[in-house]
Amino acid sequence: MKDTVFVMAINEALREELERDEKVFIIGEDVQQGTFGATGKLVQQFGKDRVMDTPLAETAVAGSAIGAAMTGYRPVADMMFGDFMWIAGDEIFLKAAKWHFLHAGKVNVPVVFMGAIGGGFKLGAEHSQSPEAVVMHTPGLKLVIPSTPYDAKGLLKTAIRDNNPVVFFYHKGLLGSPGQIPEEEYTIPFGVADIKREGTDVTIVATGMMVHHALAAAEQLKDKVSLEVIDPRTLEPFDLDTVVKSVQKTSRAVVVDEDTLRCGVTGEIAALIMENAFDYLDAPVQRVAAPNIPIPGGYMEKYALPQPRDIIAAVEAVMGNA
Amino acid sequence: MKLEKDDLIKLYKNMVLGKKIDTITIEGLAAGKVVSFFHSGQGSEGLAAGVASFLRDDDYIYPHHRGHGIVYLISKGFSGTEFLAEHFGFAGGCSQGISGFHSVDPEHGVLGSSGTIGSQFPLTLGWGLAAKKNGREQVAVGCFGDGSSNRGTLHEAFNLAAVWKLPIVWVCDNNGMAQYTPIADAYPREDIADLAAGYDMPGVVVDGMDVLAVHEVMQAAVARARAGEGPSLIEGKTHRFRAHSEGSPDVNHFEPRSEELIEKSKKRDPIKLFEKKLLAQKILTKKDIEKVDKELQAEADEMDRLATASGKPDPSILDKMLYAE
Ligand SMILES: Cc1ncc(C[n+]2csc(CCOP(=O)(O)OP(=O)(O)O)c2C)c(N)n1
Repeated sequence: MKDTVFVMAINEALREELERDEKVFIIGEDVQQGTFGATGKLVQQFGKDRVMDTPLAETAVAGSAIGAAMTGYRPVADMMFGDFMWIAGDEIFLKAAKWHFLHAGKVNVPVVFMGAIGGGFKLGAEHSQSPEAVVMHTPGLKLVIPSTPYDAKGLLKTAIRDNNPVVFFYHKGLLGSPGQIPEEEYTIPFGVADIKREGTDVTIVATGMMVHHALAAAEQLKDKVSLEVIDPRTLEPFDLDTVVKSVQKTSRAVVVDEDTLRCGVTGEIAALIMENAFDYLDAPVQRVAAPNIPIPGGYMEKYALPQPRDIIAAVEAVMGNA
Repeated sequence: MKLEKDDLIKLYKNMVLGKKIDTITIEGLAAGKVVSFFHSGQGSEGLAAGVASFLRDDDYIYPHHRGHGIVYLISKGFSGTEFLAEHFGFAGGCSQGISGFHSVDPEHGVLGSSGTIGSQFPLTLGWGLAAKKNGREQVAVGCFGDGSSNRGTLHEAFNLAAVWKLPIVWVCDNNGMAQYTPIADAYPREDIADLAAGYDMPGVVVDGMDVLAVHEVMQAAVARARAGEGPSLIEGKTHRFRAHSEGSPDVNHFEPRSEELIEKSKKRDPIKLFEKKLLAQKILTKKDIEKVDKELQAEADEMDRLATASGKPDPSILDKMLYAE
């Protein structure tokens, strides 16, 4: 194993896939430098045709990636901010997601849409969202949200090799977070959750930055309550088995997400737990997510971002101590 | 409109005050006082003041994001204190600190701004549509950068503005760069103004560093709009004196931007150029200029002080903001 940081793990995955398969290319605004560094220092090795800086035109970035993907290329379309996927809404949600299905499987759309998500930098409502709910809601899109450098690298490589459109969201607050990855090549299959911390009293399901908040909560509570922190890593496909097995052991669950609570992924996951592990539950599933407002920009941003203390409060509620 | 002495001084002051507020914002970001990010507008003061200094209060404007619109805003009557307080995330901000960097002041025709580039086109179209319906000879001004011109929304809005003969002035701040990407790699022609021909509207290129030249073409476009003759496009050639945003690398794709070129472009600083003219025409003396500078510095410092004094907002306002009554 070797030490790395999150953003370098993404960079390494891209480098290896560009090396492995000449059909892979990166396309997006300012990717040669890389707004967040994820795509940086690749143009020097692979040239401007495979690390393509585009004009400021998200529709064209997503659309041309989709078009090229349909002919056998494997583009990674960097949308810069996850929020900017909305600007290419037709292309991503109405074309990439649906064309394989609507054309009876005669065409594939093996494209990856990458975007930085999440709050914590007071960048306002259009640069801070965690828009996973809409992606998970849309049939035809796979969705990856890694929480560690190891997961980021292994899952991005799988995303690039997948024959379907995959949305790969990475949290801005995790870019510099350290971790270890193997020296040798590896990939991580989709739909396999990772138990980030074993525990016996409460199951926590979280992705991205929220995994770290959950781990912080688990650490704070460790003398009182034992939390099991499960990171599904991919929300579509979703590893229900691991979650259900955990709930069978703990009988309590808290689902955490940085996106808005209303119609958010916490609702879906909580319902799945209720439908599949109801008999094991000793308390209603608790949800922790953002309130129903756009994310404010300045000091009030924190009121729209779930915090470790919110997870602790939810744990106390399922433990009956609230 | 012939510019009288007072008008010239007004133009000058809008540029200088705008730059001072821009500078306070840069320093505030470095000091951790400005909450989000900042895209300095230094180099574009002439274009912005030339476009916005003589609009009516009820004319609508979507400022370009350079300097987060500060010179356009000041010129339109927007409060510098509210601009700074918003950037400090404080209660005295135009959005009470909720946006962190947007501008809004409906009384001066500023109906909002955004963090996503390209939304100015359809929204300005709507303001132009309203202006036409209102029948009060209002104008809507939609400002954007060369990079913004790559968005498809430009074409939808240009087309309909022309078809509907709306009173809109489109203003492109062409500083040659969009974040790290030079315009030469994003657009096949030399002049963005050429796009106007496709939509049957006048398109003019102007030296964006020359505030008087900008003023002149703006007057013509505004007159055309007020007369109900339809939209126009003005392209001001400018330079970006600083990095895309404070703290971001100043690169052309991935290699450092030519310092020589930046230094050369700074020799045509729009404020300095205008000063020279004002001196030559004896509108202002060297002494006057020093005095104006002192006064405006004091004004900007006072804005900074008032903005700071407004303090952090009370989060209970958030619950009241989602829906109108
Ligand atoms: C829809 C969208 N895409 C990308 C960005 C990121 N971004 C902000 S400003 C900018 C460059 C804009 O260039 P231009 O319009 O030429 O204006 P300039 O900043 O050069 O004045 C980019 C890429 C954004 N904010 N919104």
